[in-house]
Amino acid sequence: MLETRTPRLATRVGGRIRSTLSVSRGALGRRDSAFVFVIVTLLYLVTFLWAIGDLSFQSVGTDFFTVSDPYSRALEPAPGAYMHEPVALLDLWVARFLISPVNVALGLGVSLLVGVNLALSYLAVTQPKSCGLGAASGIFAAIPALLAGSACCGPALLVVLGITASSTLLTLFSWLLPIGVGLLLVSLVYVSGQIDPTAV
Amino acid sequence: MQSRHSRRTFLAIAGGGLAGLAGCLDDTPGGGSGGSDGDTSLSGDGKSDGGDSQAETRLPLREAEVPLSRDLEEYASSAMRGAAKDAIPSIGDPKFGSVSDGNSMMDPGDPVFGVELDGDARAYPQHILVWHEIVNDQFGDRGITVTYCPLTGTAVGFERGPVSFGVSGKLINSNLVMYDRETNTWWPQVLGTGVRDDLIGKALNEVRVTWTTWERWQSVHPETSVLTEDTGYVRNYDDDPYGSYNPRGGYYDSGQLQFNVINRDSRLDPKEVVIGARTADGAMAFHKDRLSEAQLLETTVEGTSYLAAYDPDLHTGYVYRNPDGESYEARSGSFVTPDGTSHQAGALPLEEINAFDAMWFVWAAFYPETTLEE
Repeated sequence: MLETRTPRLATRVGGRIRSTLSVSRGALGRRDSAFVFVIVTLLYLVTFLWAIGDLSFQSVGTDFFTVSDPYSRALEPAPGAYMHEPVALLDLWVARFLISPVNVALGLGVSLLVGVNLALSYLAVTQPKSCGLGAASGIFAAIPALLAGSACCGPALLVVLGITASSTLLTLFSWLLPIGVGLLLVSLVYVSGQIDPTAV
Repeated sequence: MQSRHSRRTFLAIAGGGLAGLAGCLDDTPGGGSGGSDGDTSLSGDGKSDGGDSQAETRLPLREAEVPLSRDLEEYASSAMRGAAKDAIPSIGDPKFGSVSDGNSMMDPGDPVFGVELDGDARAYPQHILVWHEIVNDQFGDRGITVTYCPLTGTAVGFERGPVSFGVSGKLINSNLVMYDRETNTWWPQVLGTGVRDDLIGKALNEVRVTWTTWERWQSVHPETSVLTEDTGYVRNYDDDPYGSYNPRGGYYDSGQLQFNVINRDSRLDPKEVVIGARTADGAMAFHKDRLSEAQLLETTVEGTSYLAAYDPDLHTGYVYRNPDGESYEARSGSFVTPDGTSHQAGALPLEEINAFDAMWFVWAAFYPETTLEE
Protein backbone atom coordinates (compact mmCIF):
# COMPACT_ATOMS: atom_id res chain seq x y z
CA MET A 1 0.00 0.00 0.00
CA LEU A 2 2.76 2.35 1.12
CA GLU A 3 4.78 1.44 -1.97
CA THR A 4 2.01 2.60 -4.27
CA ARG A 5 1.28 5.75 -2.29
CA THR A 6 4.88 6.99 -2.21
CA PRO A 7 5.32 7.21 -5.99
CA ARG A 8 1.92 8.86 -6.25
CA LEU A 9 2.90 11.44 -3.62
CA ALA A 10 6.24 12.02 -5.33
CA THR A 11 4.47 12.45 -8.65
CA ARG A 12 2.00 14.91 -7.13
CA VAL A 13 4.73 16.94 -5.41
CA GLY A 14 6.84 16.93 -8.57
CA GLY A 15 3.85 18.02 -10.60
CA ARG A 16 3.07 20.81 -8.14
CA ILE A 17 6.65 22.09 -8.22
CA ARG A 18 6.68 22.02 -12.04
CA SER A 19 3.36 23.82 -12.06
CA THR A 20 4.62 26.43 -9.60
CA LEU A 21 7.73 27.03 -11.71
CA SER A 22 5.68 27.22 -14.87
CA VAL A 23 3.17 29.69 -13.40
CA SER A 24 6.01 31.75 -11.91
CA ARG A 25 7.78 31.92 -15.28
CA GLY A 26 4.52 32.88 -16.92
CA ALA A 27 3.88 35.59 -14.34
CA LEU A 28 7.33 37.06 -14.91
CA GLY A 29 6.65 37.07 -18.66
CA ARG A 30 3.66 39.37 -18.27
CA ARG A 31 4.44 43.06 -18.10
CA ASP A 32 2.11 43.93 -15.21
CA SER A 33 3.05 41.08 -12.87
CA ALA A 34 6.74 41.43 -13.82
CA PHE A 35 6.51 45.07 -12.79
CA VAL A 36 5.07 44.04 -9.41
CA PHE A 37 7.86 41.46 -9.06
CA VAL A 38 10.67 43.94 -9.77
CA ILE A 39 9.28 46.69 -7.56
CA VAL A 40 8.52 44.38 -4.62
CA THR A 41 11.89 42.62 -4.88
CA LEU A 42 13.81 45.89 -4.95
CA LEU A 43 11.77 47.44 -2.15
CA TYR A 44 12.14 44.38 0.02
CA LEU A 45 15.89 44.17 -0.60
CA VAL A 46 16.40 47.84 0.24
CA THR A 47 14.26 47.49 3.38
CA PHE A 48 16.09 44.32 4.38
CA LEU A 49 19.51 45.93 4.01
CA TRP A 50 18.33 49.03 5.87
CA ALA A 51 16.83 46.93 8.68
CA ILE A 52 20.07 45.02 9.26
CA GLY A 53 22.05 48.26 9.23
CA ASP A 54 23.99 47.65 6.02
CA LEU A 55 22.23 50.49 4.25
CA SER A 56 21.58 53.90 5.76
CA PHE A 57 20.41 57.20 4.41
CA GLN A 58 22.50 60.11 5.58
CA SER A 59 24.60 62.91 4.19
CA VAL A 60 27.97 61.28 3.52
CA GLY A 61 29.61 62.68 0.38
CA THR A 62 31.35 60.08 -1.74
CA ASP A 63 33.80 57.41 -0.67
CA PHE A 64 34.72 53.82 -1.36
CA PHE A 65 37.15 51.48 0.32
CA THR A 66 37.57 47.79 0.98
CA VAL A 67 39.09 45.83 3.84
CA SER A 68 42.53 44.34 3.32
CA ASP A 69 41.40 40.71 3.09
CA PRO A 70 37.86 40.78 1.67
CA TYR A 71 37.53 37.08 0.76
CA SER A 72 38.09 35.67 4.25
CA ARG A 73 36.40 38.65 5.93
CA ALA A 74 33.23 38.08 3.91
CA LEU A 75 32.74 34.73 5.65
CA GLU A 76 33.22 36.01 9.20
CA PRO A 77 30.08 36.28 11.34
CA ALA A 78 28.67 39.68 12.22
CA PRO A 79 26.13 40.65 14.90
CA GLY A 80 22.65 39.39 14.04
CA ALA A 81 21.47 35.93 13.11
CA TYR A 82 22.94 34.75 9.78
CA MET A 83 24.71 38.07 9.26
CA HIS A 84 28.25 38.34 7.94
CA GLU A 85 30.94 40.95 7.85
CA PRO A 86 30.92 43.76 5.29
CA VAL A 87 34.02 43.96 3.12
CA ALA A 88 33.59 47.40 1.59
CA LEU A 89 31.99 50.75 2.20
CA LEU A 90 30.31 52.80 -0.48
CA ASP A 91 29.18 56.36 0.24
CA LEU A 92 26.97 57.99 -2.38
CA TRP A 93 25.98 61.46 -1.18
CA VAL A 94 22.82 60.47 0.66
CA ALA A 95 23.31 56.76 1.21
CA ARG A 96 25.95 54.64 2.92
CA PHE A 97 26.17 51.00 1.86
CA LEU A 98 28.23 48.53 3.88
CA ILE A 99 28.75 45.80 1.32
CA SER A 100 28.54 42.30 2.74
CA PRO A 101 28.34 39.77 -0.10
CA VAL A 102 26.70 37.12 2.10
CA ASN A 103 24.11 39.53 3.48
CA VAL A 104 23.30 40.79 -0.02
CA ALA A 105 22.93 37.22 -1.31
CA LEU A 106 20.72 36.29 1.63
CA GLY A 107 18.61 39.42 1.25
CA LEU A 108 18.33 38.95 -2.49
CA GLY A 109 17.21 35.35 -2.06
CA VAL A 110 14.43 36.30 0.36
CA SER A 111 13.54 39.35 -1.75
CA LEU A 112 13.13 37.21 -4.89
CA LEU A 113 10.84 34.85 -3.01
CA VAL A 114 8.76 37.73 -1.70
CA GLY A 115 8.72 39.33 -5.16
CA VAL A 116 7.44 36.17 -6.87
CA ASN A 117 4.88 35.63 -4.12
CA LEU A 118 3.50 39.12 -4.49
CA ALA A 119 3.55 38.95 -8.30
CA LEU A 120 1.51 35.73 -8.17
CA SER A 121 -0.81 37.20 -5.55
CA TYR A 122 -1.35 40.16 -7.86
CA LEU A 123 -2.26 37.78 -10.68
CA ALA A 124 -4.50 35.73 -8.45
CA VAL A 125 -6.39 38.83 -7.39
CA THR A 126 -6.70 40.36 -10.85
CA GLN A 127 -7.31 37.14 -12.81
CA PRO A 128 -11.00 36.58 -13.60
CA LYS A 129 -10.73 32.87 -13.01
CA SER A 130 -9.00 33.07 -9.67
CA CYS A 131 -10.57 30.72 -7.19
CA GLY A 132 -11.92 33.17 -4.69
CA LEU A 133 -8.51 34.65 -3.79
CA GLY A 134 -8.51 38.19 -2.57
CA ALA A 135 -6.22 40.62 -0.86
CA ALA A 136 -5.76 38.00 1.87
CA SER A 137 -3.37 36.08 -0.38
CA GLY A 138 -1.03 39.05 -0.45
CA ILE A 139 -1.15 39.25 3.32
CA PHE A 140 -0.46 35.51 3.46
CA ALA A 141 2.78 36.15 1.61
CA ALA A 142 3.60 39.24 3.61
CA ILE A 143 3.63 37.47 6.98
CA PRO A 144 6.51 35.08 6.18
CA ALA A 145 8.26 37.97 4.45
CA LEU A 146 8.15 39.93 7.68
CA LEU A 147 9.29 36.91 9.67
CA ALA A 148 12.25 36.34 7.39
CA GLY A 149 13.16 40.00 7.41
CA SER A 150 12.96 40.45 11.17
CA ALA A 151 15.20 37.45 11.87
CA CYS A 152 18.40 39.26 11.12
CA CYS A 153 17.61 42.49 12.94
CA GLY A 154 15.85 40.91 15.89
CA PRO A 155 17.97 42.34 18.73
CA ALA A 156 17.81 45.81 17.17
CA LEU A 157 14.05 45.40 16.94
CA LEU A 158 13.96 44.65 20.67
CA VAL A 159 15.78 47.90 21.37
CA VAL A 160 13.31 49.86 19.29
CA LEU A 161 10.32 48.16 20.91
CA GLY A 162 11.84 48.28 24.39
CA ILE A 163 11.35 44.57 24.96
CA THR A 164 13.51 42.66 27.43
CA ALA A 165 14.72 39.48 25.76
CA SER A 166 14.72 36.08 27.34
CA SER A 167 16.75 33.09 26.17
CA THR A 168 13.60 31.67 24.59
CA LEU A 169 12.95 34.81 22.59
CA LEU A 170 16.54 34.92 21.37
CA THR A 171 16.33 31.29 20.28
CA LEU A 172 13.11 32.08 18.48
CA PHE A 173 14.82 34.86 16.53
CA SER A 174 17.41 32.44 15.21
CA TRP A 175 14.56 30.34 13.74
CA LEU A 176 12.66 33.20 12.13
CA LEU A 177 14.61 33.21 8.87
CA PRO A 178 14.27 29.48 8.04
CA ILE A 179 10.63 29.55 9.17
CA GLY A 180 9.97 32.65 7.05
CA VAL A 181 11.64 31.17 3.98
CA GLY A 182 9.75 27.91 4.45
CA LEU A 183 6.44 29.73 4.70
CA LEU A 184 7.27 31.80 1.61
CA LEU A 185 7.82 28.59 -0.34
CA VAL A 186 4.55 27.12 0.93
CA SER A 187 2.78 30.36 0.09
CA LEU A 188 4.30 30.33 -3.41
CA VAL A 189 3.05 26.82 -4.10
CA TYR A 190 -0.37 27.60 -2.66
CA VAL A 191 -0.96 30.83 -4.58
CA SER A 192 0.35 29.41 -7.85
CA GLY A 193 -2.20 26.62 -7.47
CA GLN A 194 -4.99 29.16 -7.48
CA ILE A 195 -3.97 30.63 -10.83
CA ASP A 196 -5.19 29.38 -14.17
CA PRO A 197 -1.95 28.34 -15.92
CA THR A 198 -3.49 28.95 -19.32
CA ALA A 199 -4.08 32.58 -18.47
CA VAL A 200 -0.44 33.49 -17.88
CA MET B 1 36.63 17.79 39.24
CA GLN B 2 35.78 21.44 39.07
CA SER B 3 35.82 23.22 42.38
CA ARG B 4 32.93 25.40 43.43
CA HIS B 5 33.51 29.00 44.36
CA SER B 6 30.92 30.45 46.67
CA ARG B 7 30.54 33.92 48.06
CA ARG B 8 31.88 32.65 51.37
CA THR B 9 34.94 31.28 49.63
CA PHE B 10 35.61 34.61 48.07
CA LEU B 11 35.14 36.55 51.22
CA ALA B 12 37.65 34.21 52.81
CA ILE B 13 40.04 34.76 49.94
CA ALA B 14 39.40 38.43 50.31
CA GLY B 15 40.85 38.30 53.81
CA GLY B 16 44.18 38.61 52.07
CA GLY B 17 43.51 42.30 51.79
CA LEU B 18 43.43 44.82 49.05
CA ALA B 19 46.87 44.37 47.68
CA GLY B 20 45.56 43.30 44.32
CA LEU B 21 44.47 46.71 43.20
CA ALA B 22 47.79 48.31 43.85
CA GLY B 23 50.10 45.40 43.17
CA CYS B 24 48.77 42.09 42.01
CA LEU B 25 49.00 38.80 43.81
CA ASP B 26 50.25 37.31 40.62
CA ASP B 27 50.34 33.56 40.64
CA THR B 28 51.53 33.06 37.13
CA PRO B 29 55.07 31.95 36.52
CA GLY B 30 56.92 34.82 35.03
CA GLY B 31 53.90 37.06 35.36
CA GLY B 32 53.62 40.27 37.25
CA SER B 33 52.12 43.65 37.35
CA GLY B 34 52.60 45.32 34.07
CA GLY B 35 52.43 42.23 31.94
CA SER B 36 54.35 39.09 31.35
CA ASP B 37 57.94 38.96 30.27
CA GLY B 38 56.88 36.45 27.70
CA ASP B 39 59.20 33.74 29.00
CA THR B 40 56.42 31.60 30.39
CA SER B 41 56.47 28.25 28.68
CA LEU B 42 53.09 26.93 27.65
CA SER B 43 51.80 23.80 26.11
CA GLY B 44 50.30 24.26 22.68
CA ASP B 45 46.84 25.13 23.90
CA GLY B 46 48.05 27.29 26.71
CA LYS B 47 46.92 24.78 29.32
CA SER B 48 49.01 23.02 31.90
CA ASP B 49 49.41 19.33 31.39
CA GLY B 50 50.30 18.58 34.97
CA GLY B 51 48.14 17.96 37.97
CA ASP B 52 47.20 21.63 38.39
CA SER B 53 43.51 22.02 37.65
CA GLN B 54 44.01 25.55 36.37
CA ALA B 55 45.71 26.58 33.17
CA GLU B 56 49.04 28.26 33.05
CA THR B 57 48.60 31.57 31.42
CA ARG B 58 50.53 34.66 30.59
CA LEU B 59 47.63 36.81 31.80
CA PRO B 60 48.59 38.87 34.84
CA LEU B 61 46.14 37.57 37.43
CA ARG B 62 45.37 37.67 41.12
CA GLU B 63 43.02 35.90 43.45
CA ALA B 64 39.51 37.25 43.15
CA GLU B 65 38.65 39.48 46.06
CA VAL B 66 35.51 41.22 44.95
CA PRO B 67 32.35 40.26 46.80
CA LEU B 68 30.21 37.78 44.95
CA SER B 69 26.59 37.11 45.73
CA ARG B 70 26.45 33.85 43.80
CA ASP B 71 28.51 30.88 42.80
CA LEU B 72 30.59 31.60 39.75
CA GLU B 73 29.03 28.65 37.96
CA GLU B 74 25.66 30.28 38.55
CA TYR B 75 26.80 33.40 36.72
CA ALA B 76 28.04 31.25 33.86
CA SER B 77 24.80 29.31 33.65
CA SER B 78 22.82 32.54 33.47
CA ALA B 79 24.70 33.65 30.35
CA MET B 80 22.59 34.56 27.34
CA ARG B 81 23.74 34.50 23.76
CA GLY B 82 23.67 38.02 22.37
CA ALA B 83 25.76 37.29 19.28
CA ALA B 84 28.10 34.69 17.85
CA LYS B 85 31.64 34.52 19.23
CA ASP B 86 33.74 37.32 17.71
CA ALA B 87 30.74 38.56 15.70
CA ILE B 88 31.52 41.81 17.50
CA PRO B 89 35.16 42.08 16.48
CA SER B 90 37.67 43.39 18.99
CA ILE B 91 40.31 45.80 17.72
CA GLY B 92 43.69 44.12 17.71
CA ASP B 93 45.81 46.70 15.94
CA PRO B 94 44.54 50.08 17.11
CA LYS B 95 45.59 53.16 15.13
CA PHE B 96 45.81 56.49 16.92
CA GLY B 97 45.57 60.03 15.71
CA SER B 98 46.03 63.52 17.08
CA VAL B 99 43.63 65.93 18.74
CA SER B 100 42.78 67.39 15.34
CA ASP B 101 41.81 63.90 14.14
CA GLY B 102 39.59 63.63 17.17
CA ASN B 103 38.03 67.01 16.46
CA SER B 104 37.21 65.96 12.91
CA MET B 105 35.32 62.86 13.98
CA MET B 106 33.69 63.97 17.24
CA ASP B 107 31.63 66.77 18.69
CA PRO B 108 32.98 68.26 21.91
CA GLY B 109 30.30 66.61 24.03
CA ASP B 110 30.72 63.11 22.59
CA PRO B 111 31.76 60.52 25.17
CA VAL B 112 35.26 59.08 25.24
CA PHE B 113 36.97 56.63 27.55
CA GLY B 114 40.27 58.01 28.70
CA VAL B 115 43.30 56.08 29.89
CA GLU B 116 46.45 57.68 31.22
CA LEU B 117 49.39 55.45 32.01
CA ASP B 118 52.94 56.60 32.65
CA GLY B 119 52.16 60.00 31.15
CA ASP B 120 50.66 58.54 27.97
CA ALA B 121 47.08 59.72 27.56
CA ARG B 122 44.76 58.05 25.07
CA ALA B 123 41.10 58.58 24.27
CA TYR B 124 38.87 55.77 23.04
CA PRO B 125 35.75 57.25 21.43
CA GLN B 126 32.49 55.63 22.50
CA HIS B 127 31.18 55.79 18.93
CA ILE B 128 33.96 53.41 17.85
CA LEU B 129 33.92 51.10 20.84
CA VAL B 130 30.17 50.62 20.59
CA TRP B 131 30.95 48.50 17.51
CA HIS B 132 33.96 46.64 18.90
CA GLU B 133 33.69 46.65 22.71
CA ILE B 134 37.31 45.61 23.19
CA VAL B 135 40.60 47.23 22.18
CA ASN B 136 43.73 45.18 22.76
CA ASP B 137 46.23 47.97 23.18
CA GLN B 138 49.85 48.38 24.16
CA PHE B 139 51.29 51.08 26.42
CA GLY B 140 55.02 50.67 26.05
CA ASP B 141 55.65 47.14 27.28
CA ARG B 142 52.30 46.95 29.05
CA GLY B 143 49.53 45.09 27.32
CA ILE B 144 46.27 46.79 28.22
CA THR B 145 42.78 45.93 27.09
CA VAL B 146 40.16 48.66 27.14
CA THR B 147 36.64 47.32 27.25
CA TYR B 148 33.22 48.89 26.88
CA CYS B 149 29.80 47.36 27.25
CA PRO B 150 27.10 49.54 25.63
CA LEU B 151 24.24 47.68 27.30
CA THR B 152 25.49 48.38 30.81
CA GLY B 153 27.36 51.65 30.23
CA THR B 154 30.60 50.32 31.68
CA ALA B 155 34.15 50.99 30.51
CA VAL B 156 36.88 49.07 32.32
CA GLY B 157 40.55 48.54 31.59
CA PHE B 158 42.53 45.39 32.34
CA GLU B 159 46.14 44.29 32.25
CA ARG B 160 46.41 41.61 29.59
CA GLY B 161 50.12 40.86 29.33
CA PRO B 162 50.71 39.45 25.83
CA VAL B 163 47.27 37.80 25.70
CA SER B 164 44.44 39.34 23.70
CA PHE B 165 40.75 39.33 24.48
CA GLY B 166 37.72 38.84 22.26
CA VAL B 167 33.98 39.26 22.58
CA SER B 168 32.39 35.91 23.47
CA GLY B 169 28.94 37.05 22.36
CA LYS B 170 27.57 35.97 25.75
CA LEU B 171 25.96 38.33 28.18
CA ILE B 172 25.67 37.95 31.94
CA ASN B 173 23.34 40.47 33.55
CA SER B 174 23.34 42.19 30.14
CA ASN B 175 27.06 42.70 30.57
CA LEU B 176 29.82 41.95 28.07
CA VAL B 177 31.50 38.58 28.62
CA MET B 178 35.04 38.68 27.29
CA TYR B 179 37.13 35.62 26.60
CA ASP B 180 40.88 35.43 26.56
CA ARG B 181 42.46 33.94 23.47
CA GLU B 182 44.86 31.81 25.46
CA THR B 183 42.58 29.71 27.69
CA ASN B 184 39.12 30.66 26.39
CA THR B 185 38.03 31.53 29.91
CA TRP B 186 34.92 33.69 30.23
CA TRP B 187 35.44 37.05 31.93
CA PRO B 188 32.33 39.15 32.64
CA GLN B 189 33.53 42.72 32.37
CA VAL B 190 31.99 44.07 35.59
CA LEU B 191 33.25 41.16 37.70
CA GLY B 192 36.66 41.02 36.03
CA THR B 193 36.74 37.47 37.34
CA GLY B 194 36.83 34.17 35.44
CA VAL B 195 33.49 32.43 35.72
CA ARG B 196 34.03 29.39 33.56
CA ASP B 197 36.76 27.08 32.39
CA ASP B 198 40.30 26.91 33.59
CA LEU B 199 40.80 30.25 35.25
CA ILE B 200 37.56 30.27 37.20
CA GLY B 201 37.95 32.34 40.34
CA LYS B 202 40.98 34.25 39.13
CA ALA B 203 40.72 37.99 38.69
CA LEU B 204 42.19 40.36 36.14
CA ASN B 205 44.15 43.40 37.25
CA GLU B 206 42.13 46.52 36.53
CA VAL B 207 43.31 49.74 34.98
CA ARG B 208 41.42 52.96 35.51
CA VAL B 209 39.32 54.11 32.57
CA THR B 210 37.66 57.51 32.82
CA TRP B 211 34.30 58.04 31.16
CA THR B 212 34.21 61.67 30.11
CA THR B 213 33.67 63.82 27.03
CA TRP B 214 36.10 64.53 24.25
CA GLU B 215 36.12 68.22 25.14
CA ARG B 216 36.93 67.59 28.79
CA TRP B 217 39.55 64.92 28.07
CA GLN B 218 41.50 67.00 25.60
CA SER B 219 41.40 70.06 27.84
CA VAL B 220 42.99 68.05 30.67
CA HIS B 221 45.27 66.09 28.32
CA PRO B 222 46.07 68.43 25.39
CA GLU B 223 48.69 66.00 24.05
CA THR B 224 46.34 63.04 24.06
CA SER B 225 46.18 60.62 21.18
CA VAL B 226 42.84 59.30 20.05
CA LEU B 227 41.74 55.98 18.61
CA THR B 228 40.77 56.45 14.96
CA GLU B 229 38.10 54.83 12.84
CA ASP B 230 40.83 53.00 10.91
CA THR B 231 40.01 49.76 12.73
CA GLY B 232 40.37 47.33 9.85
CA TYR B 233 36.60 46.79 9.86
CA VAL B 234 33.77 48.36 7.91
CA ARG B 235 31.21 49.93 10.21
CA ASN B 236 28.89 52.89 10.11
CA TYR B 237 30.64 54.79 12.86
CA ASP B 238 28.21 57.70 12.45
CA ASP B 239 25.48 55.51 13.86
CA ASP B 240 25.01 54.04 17.32
CA PRO B 241 22.77 50.97 17.13
CA TYR B 242 21.51 51.52 20.68
CA GLY B 243 20.78 55.24 20.80
CA SER B 244 22.85 58.31 21.52
CA TYR B 245 24.73 59.99 24.37
CA ASN B 246 24.97 63.47 22.92
CA PRO B 247 22.12 64.09 23.59
CA ARG B 248 21.19 61.06 25.60
CA GLY B 249 18.47 58.99 23.95
CA GLY B 250 17.31 55.57 22.84
CA TYR B 251 18.31 52.57 24.95
CA TYR B 252 20.64 54.70 27.05
CA ASP B 253 17.76 56.80 28.26
CA SER B 254 14.90 54.32 28.47
CA GLY B 255 13.74 52.44 31.53
CA GLN B 256 13.76 49.15 29.63
CA LEU B 257 16.48 46.52 29.73
CA GLN B 258 17.28 44.52 26.63
CA PHE B 259 18.23 41.31 28.41
CA ASN B 260 17.13 39.75 31.66
CA VAL B 261 19.26 40.22 34.76
CA ILE B 262 19.65 38.05 37.86
CA ASN B 263 18.65 40.74 40.35
CA ARG B 264 16.68 43.99 40.07
CA ASP B 265 16.86 46.87 42.51
CA SER B 266 14.43 49.80 42.47
CA ARG B 267 16.47 52.15 44.63
CA LEU B 268 17.34 54.03 41.43
CA ASP B 269 16.01 54.00 37.87
CA PRO B 270 17.79 51.27 35.88
CA LYS B 271 19.82 53.57 33.64
CA GLU B 272 20.87 56.08 36.31
CA VAL B 273 24.65 56.30 36.36
CA VAL B 274 26.54 55.34 39.48
CA ILE B 275 30.25 55.26 40.17
CA GLY B 276 30.86 51.77 41.44
CA ALA B 277 33.75 50.29 43.35
CA ARG B 278 34.28 47.06 45.23
CA THR B 279 36.80 45.70 47.67
CA ALA B 280 37.07 42.76 49.99
CA ASP B 281 34.76 44.69 52.33
CA GLY B 282 31.97 44.81 49.78
CA ALA B 283 30.56 46.83 46.92
CA MET B 284 29.61 50.49 46.95
CA ALA B 285 27.91 52.83 44.52
CA PHE B 286 27.79 56.60 44.41
CA HIS B 287 25.08 58.27 42.37
CA LYS B 288 27.07 60.29 39.85
CA ASP B 289 24.76 63.29 39.60
CA ARG B 290 24.53 63.48 43.37
CA LEU B 291 28.31 63.25 43.65
CA SER B 292 28.75 66.10 41.18
CA GLU B 293 26.50 68.26 43.37
CA ALA B 294 28.00 67.26 46.71
CA GLN B 295 31.63 66.98 45.46
CA LEU B 296 32.31 64.52 48.25
CA LEU B 297 30.32 61.49 49.39
CA GLU B 298 31.15 59.03 52.11
CA THR B 299 30.00 55.54 52.85
CA THR B 300 30.78 52.71 55.23
CA VAL B 301 31.15 49.12 54.10
CA GLU B 302 31.56 46.42 56.71
CA GLY B 303 32.75 49.01 59.18
CA THR B 304 35.34 50.58 56.88
CA SER B 305 34.96 54.13 55.62
CA TYR B 306 35.23 55.01 51.94
CA LEU B 307 34.85 58.30 50.19
CA ALA B 308 34.22 59.43 46.65
CA ALA B 309 35.72 62.69 45.38
CA TYR B 310 34.34 64.47 42.34
CA ASP B 311 36.58 65.80 39.58
CA PRO B 312 34.74 68.64 37.82
CA ASP B 313 37.26 68.86 34.98
CA LEU B 314 36.54 65.34 33.79
CA HIS B 315 33.09 64.94 35.38
CA THR B 316 34.22 61.76 37.09
CA GLY B 317 34.71 60.40 40.56
CA TYR B 318 37.53 58.70 42.44
CA VAL B 319 36.93 56.31 45.29
CA TYR B 320 39.27 55.93 48.25
CA ARG B 321 39.53 53.68 51.25
CA ASN B 322 39.56 55.85 54.35
CA PRO B 323 40.21 53.35 57.16
CA ASP B 324 40.88 55.99 59.80
CA GLY B 325 37.76 57.91 58.87
CA GLU B 326 39.73 61.10 58.26
CA SER B 327 37.62 64.13 57.61
CA TYR B 328 37.99 65.75 54.20
CA GLU B 329 36.41 68.96 53.02
CA ALA B 330 35.52 69.85 49.46
CA ARG B 331 36.56 73.41 48.58
CA SER B 332 36.07 74.75 45.06
CA GLY B 333 37.25 71.67 43.22
CA SER B 334 39.90 70.66 45.74
CA PHE B 335 39.83 68.49 48.81
CA VAL B 336 41.38 69.66 52.03
CA THR B 337 42.81 67.17 54.51
CA PRO B 338 42.63 67.57 58.29
CA ASP B 339 46.15 69.01 58.29
CA GLY B 340 45.09 71.71 55.84
CA THR B 341 46.78 70.45 52.67
CA SER B 342 44.82 70.62 49.43
CA HIS B 343 44.57 67.84 46.85
CA GLN B 344 42.89 67.24 43.53
CA ALA B 345 40.14 64.64 43.39
CA GLY B 346 42.40 62.12 41.67
CA ALA B 347 45.32 62.53 44.07
CA LEU B 348 44.05 62.21 47.63
CA PRO B 349 46.62 60.72 50.05
CA LEU B 350 44.53 57.60 50.55
CA GLU B 351 44.40 54.17 48.96
CA GLU B 352 42.56 54.54 45.67
CA ILE B 353 40.09 51.85 44.69
CA ASN B 354 39.40 51.41 41.00
CA ALA B 355 35.99 52.83 40.20
CA PHE B 356 34.00 53.13 37.02
CA ASP B 357 30.70 54.43 35.73
CA ALA B 358 27.90 51.90 35.45
CA MET B 359 24.22 51.89 34.83
CA TRP B 360 22.58 51.23 38.19
CA PHE B 361 20.79 48.09 37.08
CA VAL B 362 23.97 46.19 36.26
CA TRP B 363 25.73 47.23 39.43
CA ALA B 364 22.75 46.08 41.50
CA ALA B 365 22.47 42.90 39.45
CA PHE B 366 26.05 41.84 40.17
CA TYR B 367 26.20 43.32 43.67
CA PRO B 368 22.75 43.11 45.29
CA GLU B 369 24.15 44.05 48.70
CA THR B 370 25.91 47.17 47.45
CA THR B 371 25.70 50.35 49.45
CA LEU B 372 24.28 53.30 47.55
CA GLU B 373 25.00 56.93 48.31
CA GLU B 374 22.57 59.28 46.66
